[in-house]
Amino acid sequence: MLLVVTYSRAARQTLRNVCNGHEETVVQRLGRAALLEATELGAFLALRLRAKHAGDVQVERTAPFNEFAAVPETVQDAAAAYEDREHPSTPYAAFAAGTDHPAVESMRDAELRESAESRE
Amino acid sequence: MRVRVRDADRGEVVREGRAVDLRALDGDFDLSPRAVARVVRGESPDPGPVHDHVGVITATVSVSPRAALAAGARSRGHAAPQAEELAAVRERLAELDPPAVDLRRARERVADASDAEAEWRERVATLQGRVQALREVEDDSEDVEADYGETKVDLESAEADLAEATRRLSEVETERIAAKQALARARERAREHRETRRERLRLEDRAGNLRRAARDHLAERVSEDFEAARDAVPEGDFSEDVRTALAVARVAELDAPVVVARGADPFEMPAAAVRWLDAPVLRV
Repeated sequence: MLLVVTYSRAARQTLRNVCNGHEETVVQRLGRAALLEATELGAFLALRLRAKHAGDVQVERTAPFNEFAAVPETVQDAAAAYEDREHPSTPYAAFAAGTDHPAVESMRDAELRESAESRE
Repeated sequence: MRVRVRDADRGEVVREGRAVDLRALDGDFDLSPRAVARVVRGESPDPGPVHDHVGVITATVSVSPRAALAAGARSRGHAAPQAEELAAVRERLAELDPPAVDLRRARERVADASDAEAEWRERVATLQGRVQALREVEDDSEDVEADYGETKVDLESAEADLAEATRRLSEVETERIAAKQALARARERAREHRETRRERLRLEDRAGNLRRAARDHLAERVSEDFEAARDAVPEGDFSEDVRTALAVARVAELDAPVVVARGADPFEMPAAAVRWLDAPVLRV
């Protein structure tokens, strides 16, 4: 999908107008942003917005997220285990200490694998 | 006030007083508050913000009541509690100067480089196939003297082409990598610059909210007087907007003249308009 994010009042207003006029191409509205279908029409709308508002419009193409392809098992397991913790008040750092679960710091700097189908 | 206008028959005409009636004159008058200010000489001050709303009251006048009333309240010296914060927000907005964000060139360079790389990769593959085939022919034809010379020439030329294509491929690969890195750096910079834009948007929204809150507060301060003034508008066949405009003009403190046009004038005499509005009045 195409993620369109606006950074000015004028651009945000144009995005609203565009979304109102093309509901079939809008997957999701998110305040000053919107997800558009990854079609030529979606791209046309995004490019129109950028032509009008230049740097106040950011367009990104999203990729499907497949944790089995992109995320190490340790991270998947840690997320599941932490959500299953006994005491809801335990912070993750304390939860992970002394276990095999990865530390926040190590995850912060580790980029996701680029799986073939998520590549642009 | 003293008004100096051109009449079609009489030439320059001068009228004086708090109430000036131009209805008998034959002229094409520009009725904008600024133009009125220009023809009005004497100690009459410049039109204030209220004049932008109700400075010229015609039969087709259009008024946004709350904004007009807020301006009226200001003319009477009322201040909004939001004023100070609003000024601070506007000052910060004026200081923000988000750098330009334009990744177009960087994106285009990556796309071009990727296309070029794909093209040369294909060319290299084709030439490799050709060289391979010619080598096989060469091996097979070692016994056959006649064909051998020709094949050798073809093979040498294909090998040279392959070497050249491989060299070009390596070049465009390098370019693609460089372009990708340049785009990554530009995206990183754009991300920082967008922070400034996000901040600007946040401040603009804040300013908008403060402005509306201030307007509502100010309009509220004079709303009772305004309702009374609207009830006191003399009878006549006038639109809601005309009544609102007249009432706002009555509530506001006006030093510069108000233009009251035919069709929006419930007053029998100019002097009555001056008394009711408590402002200099130009009748047109």
